[in-house]
Amino acid sequence: MRRSRFLLGAVSGLTIAANTDSFFAKALAEPVLPGLPGGADDRVLILVNLQGGNDGLNTVVPYGLQQYYRVRPAIGVTPHDVLTLNAQLGLNPEMKSFKAMYDAGNVAIVQGVGYPKPDHSHFRSTEIWQTAAPDRYESTGWLGRYLDSANLPESNLFNALAVAQVLPEALISRKVDVPAIAAIQGYGLSSDKRAGERSAFSSLARDARAPFSSPYLSAVAEIEDHAQRGSEELPKLVAGYKTDAAYPATGIGRSLALAAQIVGSKLGTRVIYVQHGSFDTHAAQKGTQDRLLRELSDALKAFYDDLAAHGNDKRTLTMTFSEFGRRVAENASRGTDHGEAGPMFLIGGGVKGGIYGDHPSLDDLDNGDIKYAVDFRSVYATVVEKWFGRPSTGIIAGNFPTLALLA
Amino acid sequence: MTGTPSPQFRPPGSLNVATALSPYQGPWNARLAAHLLRRAGFGGSPDEIARTAGMPVDAAVEALIRYPKDTGLPGAPEVLDDHYAEERQMLAQAGTRGLDDATVQQIRMQIGKDRQKTNISMISWWLNRMINTRAPLQEKMGLFWHGTFTTSVFQKGITPKEAVDQNWIFRSNALGSARDIAHLVSRDPAMLKYLDNARSNRDHPNENYARELMELFTLGIRNYTEADVRESARAFTGYSVYGPLRGGGFYFNQRQHDDGRKTFLGQSGNFNGDDIVEIIFRQPAAPRWFARKLLNFFVYNDPEPDLVDALAEVIAKNNYQMAPTMSALLRSNVFYSERAYRSLVKSPVEFVVGTYKLFGLTDVSVETLGALNRMGQVPFHPPSVKGWDGGASWLNSQTMLVRENFVNYLVTSQMMMQSSTWLTMGPPPSAKDATDKLVGTILQGDASPVSAAKLEAYLDGADTSALGQLSGENFEERMRGAAYLTMAMPAYQLN
Repeated sequence: MRRSRFLLGAVSGLTIAANTDSFFAKALAEPVLPGLPGGADDRVLILVNLQGGNDGLNTVVPYGLQQYYRVRPAIGVTPHDVLTLNAQLGLNPEMKSFKAMYDAGNVAIVQGVGYPKPDHSHFRSTEIWQTAAPDRYESTGWLGRYLDSANLPESNLFNALAVAQVLPEALISRKVDVPAIAAIQGYGLSSDKRAGERSAFSSLARDARAPFSSPYLSAVAEIEDHAQRGSEELPKLVAGYKTDAAYPATGIGRSLALAAQIVGSKLGTRVIYVQHGSFDTHAAQKGTQDRLLRELSDALKAFYDDLAAHGNDKRTLTMTFSEFGRRVAENASRGTDHGEAGPMFLIGGGVKGGIYGDHPSLDDLDNGDIKYAVDFRSVYATVVEKWFGRPSTGIIAGNFPTLALLA
Repeated sequence: MTGTPSPQFRPPGSLNVATALSPYQGPWNARLAAHLLRRAGFGGSPDEIARTAGMPVDAAVEALIRYPKDTGLPGAPEVLDDHYAEERQMLAQAGTRGLDDATVQQIRMQIGKDRQKTNISMISWWLNRMINTRAPLQEKMGLFWHGTFTTSVFQKGITPKEAVDQNWIFRSNALGSARDIAHLVSRDPAMLKYLDNARSNRDHPNENYARELMELFTLGIRNYTEADVRESARAFTGYSVYGPLRGGGFYFNQRQHDDGRKTFLGQSGNFNGDDIVEIIFRQPAAPRWFARKLLNFFVYNDPEPDLVDALAEVIAKNNYQMAPTMSALLRSNVFYSERAYRSLVKSPVEFVVGTYKLFGLTDVSVETLGALNRMGQVPFHPPSVKGWDGGASWLNSQTMLVRENFVNYLVTSQMMMQSSTWLTMGPPPSAKDATDKLVGTILQGDASPVSAAKLEAYLDGADTSALGQLSGENFEERMRGAAYLTMAMPAYQLN
């Protein structure tokens, strides 16, 4: 055996020729709700998690409100700097690429999104947004429940995918095993290069009949099997795609470039999760948040340029979320502490661009925090029903009106 | 993500809570000795397992609890000093010094390189301690406390030295009192920076530390109110850190401390942060919190509430002292039960350190650090204040690939073959004997007959056309491949 020279994971999977005869079936056509336009079966949702709690007030800036400058004396964005949306609102000055997308009618901004009795803990509030269950502990994610309900082909190992090291709770499902893939590079089994070990691995690694019992045994065997099969297939499946945009060399840029490649390779993938952050700006907020918003804005622009060049922009909806907005008043460290409601963005050729809802009041507050006007479960229900064409019953508990923000 | 593993990962079968924590008196063998060493440490080399199996269970646990004070290992990483401070200062004065953009860029790159050198040095230092220590439970408890009272180096301006100082709090008090540790971290510069308490002041109390102290470190959600968070944040005002020019370190800033009256968890007084810690540890939720944490980490996930209560009683009776608590737990029936056996997923650190020990390797490589990062766990770098979720969250296709590729990297490296004499010592045995040795040494026999037969067939040259049966010519290569394949069996992922 030759000494392997790789730095862990440096496989050359991307050079493998595209193989269209894979065992991955194309997604089965699924029934859509009556009255909905057809074609819901090749739609994709890109969920962008703005980790750490993004400060909504300095993202969509209410520069027309006097009160904004009273609560943000040091870190407020001046009227001169904002990217004007209307007489009252403007975007953070670092979001120029994003503003261009807004101007083209491809961005919906939903203001004041939150939930009742908001939790100020990152962990609990993240969990609430991921499970869509503010009032109880739920072991599956809201998108995991969508995947479970969507009759997706079991043979497809890429019904959904997280561009992440660790699977986010939003994608935890009962039936669908969702891989977390930080990057295609390294997504492969080095021993596969040796025929004897490749075949021995495939039978040993999936053998769950061990002389002991363990609650994790079958899960480990299944994931080992998926790891080998999935990693053999994925590079071949996406190799034919030619990226057609200049992505910024940032984490979110690389994540969205991979997302576009997967969307464009038509693997039947319904959901792709990417993350960006950390927006947890307790101190010296401006430098960090400005950089993160610029990275997000530039990466999203490249993403949609790439999607459009391949005709995928209309079937790809992108939605951002963050576990909470931040306190209205800045703190002594020129930062902001954990708050409550904040804006969400929905982006793509399928949205009706514009601003939804009024800007939340900065005078009528919930103990120093913005009161929510739109429950986030309304936005989720809109995605499930109007984008994916599935009833939201059993996915989003409770009755939440959908919003008319999709074309 | 939930901090509590999902109920489906509680072992099947029922618990006899009346005898769960009574001393185990059943059979004692290499299989259980290896289990003890995996849980209370990072696994054993073949020799260590044999030695532990050769002593009574009480003596084996006693040896782990009464560990040597001096392990003879380096007390600090080779590279630790903040030697980029000077460069930082140059950057801050770039304007007055008239530095051009290219120079500034060059300094920035140098800072990055120096920082990475320190980073590698400190992570390797701790991992090497885990691998080589004669006090494995001390390092294991260190990892437990690190994942409980979490901070992450370089975040919020935490210096490498502050991170290592905090690491020594956990090591020095490994089997000491949880309450003492809570007091110490409440005055620990790394913690006060990480959770923003160093910036808190009486006019704008920062609630971050006060909240996480209760939510994530000692009580858990629903055992306090938002008002308790606000009141305790006031009590912690003034718990601060000296600036770098004054040498860093804890600093009680009397002027920024709010010494007014607070009402906290039903009690009123002019409390400071130390009072808050004392009140927290008088709550019945506190011993339960640590009991649940210990059971999840050392025994099995999602422990029954009855079992949590039983261990909480032990913790409370022993005044939060971990030596008697761990001594009872590691001797208990439930610890050696079939329900606990291999019922946990190895964390990346357990997986990597255990594999190094198995092969007699003593010094982690940079490649190994990269692998740990992609498996989702790097010491000194927990992803969030919640620490590592553990359990099912370690398992996905990506992390599994990195685990397998890491093992492949080790078995194909020359250093492994030099240190791992048990693997290829002596004349080539039959494929059957080689299989028994691999499955026995690596998995304590935990392979199905079907998989053992498959491994034997591999050793005998199945699927390889050229070399055929095991012989002197192909022995070493075949044993390396077979070791890799043995470790690809699901049992090796389980602790």
